[in-house]
Amino acid sequence: MTETVIQTRGLTKEFIRDEFHVVALDRVDIDIRKGEFVALMGPSGSGKSTLLHLIAAMDRPTDGEIRVLGQDLRGLSDREVSYWRNSHVGFIFQSFNLIPVLNAIENVELPLKLTTLTKKEQREHAATALKLVGLEERMRHLPRQLSGGQEQRVAIARAIVTDPDLILADEPTGNLDAASADEALNLLAKLNRDYGKTIVMVTHDPHAAGFATRVCHLEKGVLLESLQADGS
Amino acid sequence: MMRISNFLPLVFKNSFRNRRRSILTVASLALSLCLLGLLMAMYEALFYGPDPTPAQAVRLVVRNKVSLAQPMPLSHEQKIRQVPGVEAVMLQQWFGGTYRDARDPNNFFARFAVQPQEVFSIFSEYSLPEAERQAFVRERTACVASRTLADKFGWKTGERITFVGDIFPVTVELKLAGIYDDPNQNEVLYFQWEYLRESLRPVFGGEMDMVSQFILKADSPESVPRISREVDEMFAVTPFQTKTESEQAFVLSFVSFLGNLKLFMLAIGGAVTFTILLVSANTLSMSVRERIREVGIMKTLGFTPGIILGTLLGEASLMSLTGGLIGCAFAWALCAMISSAPIPFAQLRGLALTPLITLICLSIAILIGLGSALLPALNASRRPILDSLGHSG
Repeated sequence: MTETVIQTRGLTKEFIRDEFHVVALDRVDIDIRKGEFVALMGPSGSGKSTLLHLIAAMDRPTDGEIRVLGQDLRGLSDREVSYWRNSHVGFIFQSFNLIPVLNAIENVELPLKLTTLTKKEQREHAATALKLVGLEERMRHLPRQLSGGQEQRVAIARAIVTDPDLILADEPTGNLDAASADEALNLLAKLNRDYGKTIVMVTHDPHAAGFATRVCHLEKGVLLESLQADGS
Repeated sequence: MMRISNFLPLVFKNSFRNRRRSILTVASLALSLCLLGLLMAMYEALFYGPDPTPAQAVRLVVRNKVSLAQPMPLSHEQKIRQVPGVEAVMLQQWFGGTYRDARDPNNFFARFAVQPQEVFSIFSEYSLPEAERQAFVRERTACVASRTLADKFGWKTGERITFVGDIFPVTVELKLAGIYDDPNQNEVLYFQWEYLRESLRPVFGGEMDMVSQFILKADSPESVPRISREVDEMFAVTPFQTKTESEQAFVLSFVSFLGNLKLFMLAIGGAVTFTILLVSANTLSMSVRERIREVGIMKTLGFTPGIILGTLLGEASLMSLTGGLIGCAFAWALCAMISSAPIPFAQLRGLALTPLITLICLSIAILIGLGSALLPALNASRRPILDSLGHSG
C-alpha cells in the first residue's frame, strides 16, 4: 500500500474577523498518498487555501490533527517549522512572488541559502532547476524582464530546487494566460509523473484540475467529495 | 552549518534596491557623521590636547581674577617672586593693534610686550642665536618673532614692523632683531615692555604701572598647584585679586571666553546624533514596511524569523556604515584643512580625526543603523506569514 504523506483528522480552522466568528475549515479528514496530484477545488471562501496553508505549516489549526510526511506539525516550534518547510515543501504562489531585485537564478537559489551546500553547488542546483523548466536562457533576467508565464516557471524552479517531497501550489495559473497556464500545468504534471512528486494544487479552474490525478471539493469549510481522475 | 556569507549578496542588493533613497540616506548619514566627527575632533583638540611639554608643565599665568581685560599693579611682581618655588617671573602685556590691513585675518597674530631678558629663560623651549638674543635685549625697539610667523610674512632679520595701537593709543615701530624656533609653531611676536611704557608716557602723562599678566616659572611641575594657591591667597584681600593657573589651564580658560563651548559642542553633537537617528529610523522603517510581503515569501521558503531579522539589520548597518565611512573621510579632510588654516586657537593646529574618534563615529553609525531598524525589523520578522503575504506594501 502507498505511503500516506498528508493525513488530517478533524482539522478545524476558525478566525475572528471584525467581530464575526468564521469557520474556515470544519473537521476535515483527508489522506493524500505519495505520488498523488491532488486538486483542491471549491468556490471562494470554501477553505481550500486555508487547508493548503495548514499543510504547508504556514498557519496553525484551531483543532484537529495534521501529519505531513510523518511529522505532527502542531508539535514544531516556528524555527523548526521553517527548517522543515525548507527541506520538505516547495510552494508556488498565484502571483509568482519573486524577489524583484534578484535575477532568475538568484531567486531560484534563495531556498538553498539555508542549506549547507557550497556556493558552487547552489549555483549548479539552481541552474539545473531552471533548465528543467526551460529557462536556461533567462538565468540573468530580473523578474520585470520576464513574462508572467516565465516568472511562474522561475517560481516552479524555486519550489523544486531543494528537491522537496511535497509541492503545494495556490492557484498557480490564476494570473496566467491560457498558453502559459498550460505550460505551468504540464510542468507540474511532469514533476508528478516523471519525478514522483506529491502535488497539492488549489484551483477553481476545472481545466487546471484536469491535470490532477484526484480532485477534492470543499464548500463552506467542509470536504464534500474526493474523486479520482478516472471518476471513481 | 549554513554560512552568514550566504546572505551577504542578498543584504547588499536589498540595501541599495531603491538607489535614490539609499543615496539620500547615506548622504544624510555621511553629512551628520562628518559634522559629529569634526565636533569630536575639535572637542579633543581644545579640551584634551597633548600633555604639556616639560617646559610648559612648569609655567603658570597670573591674571586679574575679574577678567583677562582687567590689569594688575606692577608691584605684584616683587611679591610673587617671594613665593617659594618661583624661579622666574616675567610681565607680559597683550598689545593687540593692527598690522597692515586689519580686515585680513591672516594679519592677526599674538603681539606681547615683555621683559626681553626673561623670555628665553621662561620659554626655555625657544631657541635663538645668542647674538640675536642680545640684540633683542639691547635695542629698545627690537622685537623677535617665531619662525612660523616670520616665514608666513617673509620677514628677515632687520625687517621694520609697525603696529597701530587699538587698546593703547600709540603706534609702535619695531625692528626684527631675531627669529626664534618654537617647537609648538605658535605665531607670536615679542617686543620690549620698556619701549611700550616709554611710548605711552606722553599719553598717560606718567608711568604705566599696570600689566595684564605675569608668567611664572616654577622649580618643578609638582610645585605648580601650590604656587598657584599661594599667589592667589597672597592677593586675596587686595583690590586686585589674582587668578593663577597652569599654562595649559589658562589656554583652556581662554577658549572658554567663547562661552560654554563644552556644553555647546556636546549639545550640537547630541542633537546631530538624535536627528540622524530619527531620519534614518523613518527611512529604514519605510524600507522594511515596503517589503513585508517579501518577508512573507522568504518565510515560506524556510527563512526563520532570526535570519530575516539578521538580514534586515545587516542592510541597515551596511547603509549606515557606508554613510559613516564617507562622513569620516570628509571629516578627516576638513580637519586637515582647518589645522593648516590661519586660526587664532593654537590647539586647533593639532586638529585631527584620530583612530579613536573614527572608531567612535563608525560605532555610532552602526548603532544608529541598528537602533533605527530594530523595531521595524523585529515587527516584520515576527509577523505571521499569511499576514505578511496579504500585505500590499
